[in-house]
Amino acid sequence: MTGKIERSLEELYGDDPERAEALAFGRKTGTSRRGFLEGAGLAAFGAAVGGTVPFAANMPSGLIPSALAQTPPATPAPAPAAPAPALEKKGPQLLNFPGKDGRLVVIGERPLVAETPESLLNDDTTPIDKFFIRNNGQIPETTTEPDKWKITIDGEVNKQLVLTLGEIKSKFKPVTRRMILECGGNGRSFFSPRASGNQWTNGGASAAEWTGVRLADVLKSAGLKPSAVFSGHYGADPHLSGDPKRQALSRGVPLKKLMNENNLIVWAMNDKPLPLIHGFPVRLVIPGWPGSVSSKWLTRIWVRDREHDGQGMGQTSYRVAINPIVPGSKPDFKNFKDLESMPVRSIISNPANGTKHAAGTRGLNLRGAAWAGDYTVRQVDVSIDYGATWQRMNVSKPKNPYDWQRWTGAVKLPSDGYFEIWTRATDSRGVMQPHVAGNWNPQGYGGNPMHRVAVLVG
Amino acid sequence: MAWMNGRTASAVRLLFLFVLAALVAGAIGVAAAQAPQFTPRDEEPEQFPDAPGREETFYTCTACHNFTLVAQQGMSRERWDRTLDLMNERHGMPKLEGKDRAIVLDYLARVFAEQAPAERGWQNPFLKN
Repeated sequence: MTGKIERSLEELYGDDPERAEALAFGRKTGTSRRGFLEGAGLAAFGAAVGGTVPFAANMPSGLIPSALAQTPPATPAPAPAAPAPALEKKGPQLLNFPGKDGRLVVIGERPLVAETPESLLNDDTTPIDKFFIRNNGQIPETTTEPDKWKITIDGEVNKQLVLTLGEIKSKFKPVTRRMILECGGNGRSFFSPRASGNQWTNGGASAAEWTGVRLADVLKSAGLKPSAVFSGHYGADPHLSGDPKRQALSRGVPLKKLMNENNLIVWAMNDKPLPLIHGFPVRLVIPGWPGSVSSKWLTRIWVRDREHDGQGMGQTSYRVAINPIVPGSKPDFKNFKDLESMPVRSIISNPANGTKHAAGTRGLNLRGAAWAGDYTVRQVDVSIDYGATWQRMNVSKPKNPYDWQRWTGAVKLPSDGYFEIWTRATDSRGVMQPHVAGNWNPQGYGGNPMHRVAVLVG
Repeated sequence: MAWMNGRTASAVRLLFLFVLAALVAGAIGVAAAQAPQFTPRDEEPEQFPDAPGREETFYTCTACHNFTLVAQQGMSRERWDRTLDLMNERHGMPKLEGKDRAIVLDYLARVFAEQAPAERGWQNPFLKN
């Protein structure tokens, strides 16, 4: 569906990037995504997407239209000393993995990381084949005896426990909850200047039905000492280097979050055993916070008397600035705190970005999802004129805490041409999604600007 | 199995083999139900932009992770320098110093440079470029 538009721009750049740049942006050099459209550039952009651009006057400066942002020219900016060689230009790499939808986009193979394009998050419950993939280490060997898998609960507990998954299943009451899991770096690619790490758009999030037992029930059976203040979680995934002494990832949460009744020790996903890639045979699901606290292949929960210091804790890992810093500047680690609740976010799951509609189409039915970490979504608004006017959408109630909320609605279009649909959610505290990713931090957490899709009518 | 006659013993043996086969099949069944371990495709330095230091940089970074991760980034030389510190301090990368560090930094800062700032429109007065 996006093919037509993307190809035409790709071709435009492929033939002669400098000329294309000058045509599309009305300037000579540089390949910034932050181009400013005006005059001839706007006309050329209209020509490039094959339509007129209604509401062009509202198109914000510092942002380029969605259709162009989809296909940034892949040539890196020239360095002062000598021009950098061109990067090979190609489309997104699609995932080829057993049991997974081939339209997921690979962000990296080692470790394996793949995101789900927003338009594939159109199901109320994300099917396993469409669920995003995030690994920090290697994928561990599978087990043929899942019920004998051992989990240790130790540290600041009255009674250290080593429970098999079989014992966990039989001793505690199972519950099933539809909850969203979201990578802490979701939205990272929207930061400027670019933040370090996997360049997620909005696709590091999915919602599954998780079956397991309450983490709090298991921890209570071990009995927490008064000294217990934090947790440290461990999984069986080997470090990328293969060094057995190193942890791929070991993060944790403070006691208040740890004992939340929605946290589960999970063995089933959408009524099926967890796939290996999602943590078989057993994982944590600690919803609302960066997904990295929800360890896959769970082997140990260390209850600690201080903030956990495992791999992925401290400095600027999963951390945001306390006092806002100049984007790109050197971080003072003392000015950073853990990202806790994920920020409010909404996506348009239908139509897909780059969809073409027949000439004369004057209305579109929209569908999407919204979520807000520890909070709920109060409302979702949509604009077809770059934020000049907004329309309220219908937002469903969550099935249970930490479920995402699906939304639907319709917009009228005044004419044929190029339109962008922008969505903005507001959480239960009244906090909205911003136009841009703000509060820049070196590793790019908390980026939640409005999602936008481009459609072409006629 | 002296208490069994020959016929019973062989029947028991057969049953044992059946059970064993079923157990093995069950084990395979569980394993087969799980996706095989993912093997990342091989990467070669030649896939990435040619500039001095490409090989050195490629092999430094791919001791742990794929180079595609590197190629997604766009940073100033100063931020690449800090990233090498971070990889050393946080992820166990051997410390790069002197000429070796300069070779890697030269490549990274040149090929995966921070994107040029907008020449028109709103500009961040605090960004030094």
